[in-house]
Parts: sequence; structure tokens; C-alpha cells
Amino acid sequence: MMETAQFMLTYTVVVLFAMMVLGIYGVVTRPNMIKKVIMLNIMGDAINMLFIIIGYRLVYPVFPPVYEKHVGFREFLSGAVDPLPQALVLTAVVIGMAMNILLVTYAIQAHRLYGTTDVRDLADVLGQERREGP
Amino acid sequence: MGARRDVVVALLLLMAMAVLSYSAVASGFASGSLRPLGAEYLERAASTPEVVTAIVWNYRGFDTLFETFVFFLAIAGTLSVLRLSSRQEREVRRNEEREPHRKMDEIVRVITKLVVVAIVAVSASIAIHGQLTPGGGFQAGSAMAVASLLLFVVFSKFVLERSGLTLRHTLTAYAAGLAVILVTVFLPVLMGGHLLQIDLLPGESGLLSLDVGEYTAVTFGFLSVFLVLGISEWIFKGVLREEVK
Repeated sequence: MMETAQFMLTYTVVVLFAMMVLGIYGVVTRPNMIKKVIMLNIMGDAINMLFIIIGYRLVYPVFPPVYEKHVGFREFLSGAVDPLPQALVLTAVVIGMAMNILLVTYAIQAHRLYGTTDVRDLADVLGQERREGP
Repeated sequence: MGARRDVVVALLLLMAMAVLSYSAVASGFASGSLRPLGAEYLERAASTPEVVTAIVWNYRGFDTLFETFVFFLAIAGTLSVLRLSSRQEREVRRNEEREPHRKMDEIVRVITKLVVVAIVAVSASIAIHGQLTPGGGFQAGSAMAVASLLLFVVFSKFVLERSGLTLRHTLTAYAAGLAVILVTVFLPVLMGGHLLQIDLLPGESGLLSLDVGEYTAVTFGFLSVFLVLGISEWIFKGVLREEVK
């Protein structure tokens, strides 16, 4: 039982690191700003999941950090997962959302002003503007 | 050149992934034991059953407060990029009257009406049960934002604006939500306590007003951004071009 849980946990951690790295790869190599934002989100979600997994406990039975009277307090203490990473992630999710709004707005505005969300084309257009004036 | 660079980047990142996963697994990523701080919070569960919410509002309340400020900064940044002067707003409205009012099929509209009612009910219940379930205000506000987005897609932004939800109204409601949060934060100081010491307020009213304040703020913050982003591309481009001239 515990071996299976250990294996699943290790597998999840490896997959989450893979997602994180995939996110960094996408942000670095994709020229489209919207794709960059999507990859940034994938990376952020992977990091949030890693945070929650840090708080997980390899015990059986395991409870969410919500105390229910019928469980019994001793049993709850010995089986509940760490609540602190979950509280931290709650904040991180909100901040990720706020960041998303801002990034997507800038991408849309860039598309309205210059007709492209490709950073290479944007660099060309902006460089031309700087040389010749708008 | 570009392809070779991509391969090098990918290989480097794969190596980083292997090292990170190995070190995480080898250091005993998760075990049966609990970190002391987590255990301490869990032991207080006898008085506040939902431990995550207890941490968020009681022990790390400032963090949640500043999270609201971060959200405020994002909304303020968005609205300042997409700002319109009152003359430009009039021009937008004049142009929008010329635009054909598109809306979706009857079936879609009826089902959306039913779904939107359900979403509003669920989000209100999340907001009001904030002291019992994790999240509370922000999650409820996000659910509400989905409802307004659905209305946007299926009807149009004109339906919302005609029923009295113009940008001015939504921004006022957003400010009202923020004001409720600020009053709840500063009221304990007037009663002789510390900032955010909401247990001085009667019963659970402190938690409830923080949740409802955040709910209002997030709902109408999102709605304001949607209303500005919902202006048709060609109208906005025309306005921008005139501004550049």
C-alpha cells in the first residue's frame, strides 16, 4: 500500500517538474505573446501543485485539513495534511490570475496598435518607429 | 540556427528537470511526519475546523489583504492601458449604435439563462460560506466572472449595458467592495485592537464582511475589464488612431 503511494508520489513529482521545464521552454522559445502567457500559466500551475505535494503526508488514512467531529481529534492530528502550503497556494493562485489579466491586456493592446503579437515583428515595428518616429 | 538553439535549450532544461526531480525524491519529498508549523496550526483545529481558511484570515490576514491590493493594481493597470477620455467614450457609444446587434440562437440563450442563475447561486453560496470552505471571496468572484463572461458571449455587452451595468457602475461597485474590506481591516483599530484583529467584531461578521467585500470587488473588477475589452476591435482602433494623430 505505502509502496504504491510512494511510487505515485514520485511519479507525480517527476511529471510536475517536467511541466515546469516545459513551461520555461515555451516562454523562452515561442515568439507569440499569447503562447508565452499560456506556457507561463502551465509553469505556474506546476509550481503550485508542487507546493501542495510538499504538504502531503505518506500516512493512511490521510485527511484534508478540515476537522470533522466524527473523526476524533487525535486521529485527525495524525492523519491530516499540512495546511500551510495550501494557504500559500491560495494566495499564489490569485496573484497568478491578476498577472494574467495584465499580460493578456498588454498582448491585446499590442495587437490593436501594431497588428501582431509576435515579439520578433513587434521588435521590428518598434525599432522602425524609434528610427523614424511614429 | 533557430532549430539548433531550441534543441540546446530543450536539452539543458531536460537536464535541469532530471537533477531537480532526483534531488527532490532523494531528499524524501513527502514523509509521514509533519513540519512543526503545520502541526501547530492543525492543533488549533478544535476551535476553527477549517484550518486553511483559519490561516488565511487569522494568521496570515495581511497576506490576503495585500493579495487584494495586487489584484487592484492589475485592474488599475489594465484600465489605465485601455483608458478612454469622455470624448472618446462618446465616440465609442456613437459607433456602437451603428453596429448590428448580434446574438446567439434561441436554444443557447435559454440554456445560458438557466446556467447563469445556477452559477450566481453557487458563487453566492461560496462567498457566504467563506468561513467554512477554503477560498471564499476570490473563488466566488471568479465564478461570478464566468457568469458575466457567458452573458457577454451569448448575448452581447449591450445587454449588460442596457440593464444598467456600464463601466461607471461596475467601477463604483468595485470601489465599494474595496471600501468594505478596508473598513473591516481598520475597524478593530478604532475598537482598541490591532489591524485586522477581526475577532473583536461581533460574531463572524468580520469574516463575512471580508468575504463579501472580496466577492464584490473581484466580481466587478473582472466585469469592468470585460466591459472595456468588449469594445469592438474596429471601434477601438479608430479611437486609438485618432489619439495618435
